Amino acid sequence: MRAWRPILAVAVLSAAIAGCGNNTDSGGTAPAAAAGPWSFTGGSGQVVKADKAPTRIIAHAGEAAALMSFGIKPVGIYSDESVKTDPNLKNLDLSGITILGEEWGKIDVEKAASLAPDLIVGDWWPAEKAHSGMEEGVDEKSKKLAELAPVTGVSQGKSIVELAEGYEALAKSLGADVDKPEIAANKKRFEESVTAFKDAVTAKPGLSVAAMSPADDKLYVANPEYAPELLDLQSFGLDVLDPASPDPSFPYWENLSWENADKYQPDLILWDGRSFTATANAEWGKKQPTWFKLKAAKAGATVSWPAFWLHTYGDFATELDKLTEAVKAADPNVGG
Amino acid sequence: MSVVSPPATTRVARRASALGPGLVALCAVLAAVAFLSVTQGSRDIGLSEVLHALRSFDDDGSISSTITLELRVPRTLLGILVGAALGVAGAILQGVTRNPLADAGIMGINSGAAAFVVFAITVLGVRGVGVYVWFAFAGAIAALFLVYAIASLGREGATPVKLALAGAAVTAGLASVTSGIIMTNVTALNELRFWQVGSLAGRYAPILTGVAPFLLVGLAAALGFGRALNGLALGEDLARGLGQHVGRTRVAAFAVVAVLAGAATAACGPIVFVGLVVPHVARFICGPDYRWILPYSMLLAPIVLLLADVLGRVVAQPDEVQVGVVLGVVCAPAFVAIVRYARLSEV
Repeated sequence: MRAWRPILAVAVLSAAIAGCGNNTDSGGTAPAAAAGPWSFTGGSGQVVKADKAPTRIIAHAGEAAALMSFGIKPVGIYSDESVKTDPNLKNLDLSGITILGEEWGKIDVEKAASLAPDLIVGDWWPAEKAHSGMEEGVDEKSKKLAELAPVTGVSQGKSIVELAEGYEALAKSLGADVDKPEIAANKKRFEESVTAFKDAVTAKPGLSVAAMSPADDKLYVANPEYAPELLDLQSFGLDVLDPASPDPSFPYWENLSWENADKYQPDLILWDGRSFTATANAEWGKKQPTWFKLKAAKAGATVSWPAFWLHTYGDFATELDKLTEAVKAADPNVGG
Repeated sequence: MSVVSPPATTRVARRASALGPGLVALCAVLAAVAFLSVTQGSRDIGLSEVLHALRSFDDDGSISSTITLELRVPRTLLGILVGAALGVAGAILQGVTRNPLADAGIMGINSGAAAFVVFAITVLGVRGVGVYVWFAFAGAIAALFLVYAIASLGREGATPVKLALAGAAVTAGLASVTSGIIMTNVTALNELRFWQVGSLAGRYAPILTGVAPFLLVGLAAALGFGRALNGLALGEDLARGLGQHVGRTRVAAFAVVAVLAGAATAACGPIVFVGLVVPHVARFICGPDYRWILPYSMLLAPIVLLLADVLGRVVAQPDEVQVGVVLGVVCAPAFVAIVRYARLSEV
């Protein structure tokens, strides 16, 4: 997930690698899949096929969380940061799952091979034409993961909802009972969150927001076109700013020098969740002379933006509820 | 030699008589470049607004006033001090090691600073340029001390050859430790990537006031080394014969370089080329006399640095390009041209 790299990822330092390498056979507790041949069409359009539904799955962090939300437990996980801090994984019970990597671009393929996987699951990144873990910049050695088993994944395209639906379909094909009451409950919670969010947005006509990531030398303004959750927020009616001139070589962001920090004046700032803290706004106001030239920042109208990680209805619902509160509290006249 | 060419002594004397006014002219150029650096940037601010802000010298809360006084003025002052420090530190290092390729980078300063910054990020978990400054400073001084200590082993002391070798060895050692750590830590990699380019962006008053005392003292001390470096340029034995304490001079020179280059690198990250190229240009103008080379380096370097920084700020509006990148792109061809077309004075 290269969108992580251009900015100061303020993820907490990786703790020691959690070694669970000896429990390799306790995973794969997927419900009995339908017998007979299995196939799935991934986000790349490629169809993967097998004689029977795969049961020994290795998945990237968020994708693993998505499958687990439907009761499909992978045998191995590779993550971009410590599984203790990864927003997708930190609240999940990972016992019995082998951790194959806790850093972007690094996967222990030897350990992965010892798990004898029959499917690798990683999001498809259309901008980079690669699955998570096989993008450009990933260790050549780590990319060999793709040789262990067929690779598939849902496209990180235009919507988290589509992403979640895609993983629901994948889980179903793998034998998950997607109609279980707790799954339905999560979906219902998500739908309620969407409704509440839409209501909040409707009640604040004229409210404009921008997703930003302040860094020492520049201010990065997110381009919703490459951030599915921001596209979703737009589709729910929120006016999320589309920056005028994203960096052509890395279109996830428009880069503003600090002299131009006030180029956009949103009423509410969605602050990159990877660096957002409760005190961040005050700190940046102190350290960057022009940060408070953003009227919303000055007014303290900031909220954490779940940047580039959401995969499940449940997580999206939780994050949406926080955004709903922020929208309710926002003043549509701050940015002017 | 043709009969009509004047004797060398007259040439040197004539040169000296032109070099004094030359320094004054360079001061004027530096002032003009500094003015440019305050008035130009990645945001268009009218000249009258800039002048108004400068006259009142009090942030009235308007964006143009904040940018002028809190972004551009400290950035320009830092550019002047850091440029001067790097230029003169490079000149001293080239003189004291009698190595035309000597600069802060080759003496382990950049790698030492980087190693300490990475240590601060990974082990102590600190973040932000304001904190890195002090780790980088400590790292630069530690690395230079280490280089000097290694080179001093053996009876003949820290000879130029041993200094160069020790510098290369320490640089390689520290650099491999640094890359070893950042390869396994993506956060450290991200943080270091910005620091390592060398930039004046995001450095405000606290950093300026933090490093300024070190740089000012270092610059003043540096100017006193002219005569000693002239002596060293004759070769160690001759310098000794002229009554110079070679060892003591070298230690003192290294101490001054450590403070200058250490504080400069700490404030802005490793800035390339200025410390290497500018002393050569100064030597080309002044001839071999370090009493002139040092002040010329001290004025030429900030001119180059500020011009590069202004260029980086105006080419990519509303974004900006780090000065380290601009210097690499602009200075490398300039250096090649100097080497190719100008007869460089021997160090």
